Amino acid sequence: MSVRNAILGLLAYRPRHGYELHDAFEAMVGGVENWDLKPAQVYTTLTRLEKKGLVIEDRVQQDGGPEKHIYTVTQAGLAELQKWFSEPVLSDRRRDEFFLKLMLCLAAPDANPRKLIYVQRASLYRELHAITAQRSRVDPKSELAYILLLDQAVMHLEADLRWLDMVESRLDEISRQPIPEPAERPRGRPPKSDES
Amino acid sequence: MSIIKTEQLTKVYGKGATAVTALNGLNIEIQPGEFVAVMGPSGCGKSTLLHLVGGLDKPSNGRVLLDGQDIFRLNDDELTQLRRRQIGLVFQFFNLIPVLEAAENVALPLILDGVKQNDARQKAEAWLARIGLSDRLTHRPDQLSGGQQQRVAIARALVAEPSLILADEPTGNLDSRSADDIALLLRQISEEWNRTVLMVTHDPRIAAHANRIIFLKDGTVVDETRLSSNGHQEEMMVRQKLEVAR
Ligand SMILES: Nc1ncnc2c1ncn2[C@@H]1O[C@H](COP(=O)(O)OP(=O)(O)OP(=O)(O)O)[C@@H](O)[C@H]1O
Ligand SMILES: [Mg+2]
Repeated sequence: MSVRNAILGLLAYRPRHGYELHDAFEAMVGGVENWDLKPAQVYTTLTRLEKKGLVIEDRVQQDGGPEKHIYTVTQAGLAELQKWFSEPVLSDRRRDEFFLKLMLCLAAPDANPRKLIYVQRASLYRELHAITAQRSRVDPKSELAYILLLDQAVMHLEADLRWLDMVESRLDEISRQPIPEPAERPRGRPPKSDES
Repeated sequence: MSIIKTEQLTKVYGKGATAVTALNGLNIEIQPGEFVAVMGPSGCGKSTLLHLVGGLDKPSNGRVLLDGQDIFRLNDDELTQLRRRQIGLVFQFFNLIPVLEAAENVALPLILDGVKQNDARQKAEAWLARIGLSDRLTHRPDQLSGGQQQRVAIARALVAEPSLILADEPTGNLDSRSADDIALLLRQISEEWNRTVLMVTHDPRIAAHANRIIFLKDGTVVDETRLSSNGHQEEMMVRQKLEVAR
């Protein structure tokens, strides 16, 4: 969804061909290491957008070269973009693989939840170190957008690290609680409440 | 050789029923040029560790070796000399002398060590310039921002050209932007100027500047994380291997 809308946004900025879109996207997100968008996804998305009438394709003959496919956003496409701007982005923070691991590690025989926390913490710190180093090389006068993106990543990592400290400090406590089980449900068909 | 090595380092404060074990048989080893952060919950012994490594307090048991030298076997004069020439200290509250100007604060350790006024002043100004404060030489601490005061304190720690900088919560009293600047400066001290930096911090984003993090709990090391290799250290290891091979 976000790639589709980003393509509409980039085309609203100005018409481009597929590979220009790919490169513009990559530049905007600060490089392939941040978001690896495959060129094939750009082309399939463009095809779908065209079918829905959100973009139109023009074939332009180049002198000597193969013809280029230039895409332009339509009025319907612009409306779609406005709709996207008007909606908030919902976070996915309560759906967390580490949490799953931790719960199951607490229940598993021969598992070491403290080790799990340390491994995760080491990995988060390495990521934070890499981003910190990257950030110190970026020029705030010309690359502010990139700095804001890196700062967001830094702040999330900091929050994750603080949360891990909290989990570690309450590990004994949580270890004593059984992991959540589903509520008991009656077997078979639920009894009909109002027979008519 | 490790620049810092602790062996079964133990510190018990007080006696009998009220005794507190601040360090409990702690072993760490740090190579020259490393930038190491020490983290852990409040009361786990971080400051105690720094005090003992800095020779400010004596252990109840165990040893601190700096460059292979057991520092608590030195006599008082030798220990004082080692502290003045080999170790620079940086604290959370800067600990600058309020009535002295920035350059005078920085020159003070040299003057206490018997260096002539003029030479001390020159060295102080050179260090202040290196850390970007040449336009603040005659400001008193109360005329400087927190971040600038900490930079002055760092220049003071560096002025005697020590090989080791010990910093206890150096960013604990700063806003996050000045804190980042100080962390970058500490990193520069290790990377460019080849000093070893041992820093205590609570702040993950400050610790993330280091090459390695040591996690303490109840006075011992519970975990250690290498964040990046240290260029200088690798070079030394290659050299050592070459020498052994010869
Ligand atoms: N001079 C002292 N006399 C008695 N007890 C002390 C002394 N200094 C420290 N302690 C105790 O030793 C333990 C370790 O203290 P230390 O200051 O090294 O902890 P810390 O890890 O630096 O904590 P913080 O993060 O709060 O600064 C604590 O329980 C503390 O109360
Ligand atoms: Mg402390």
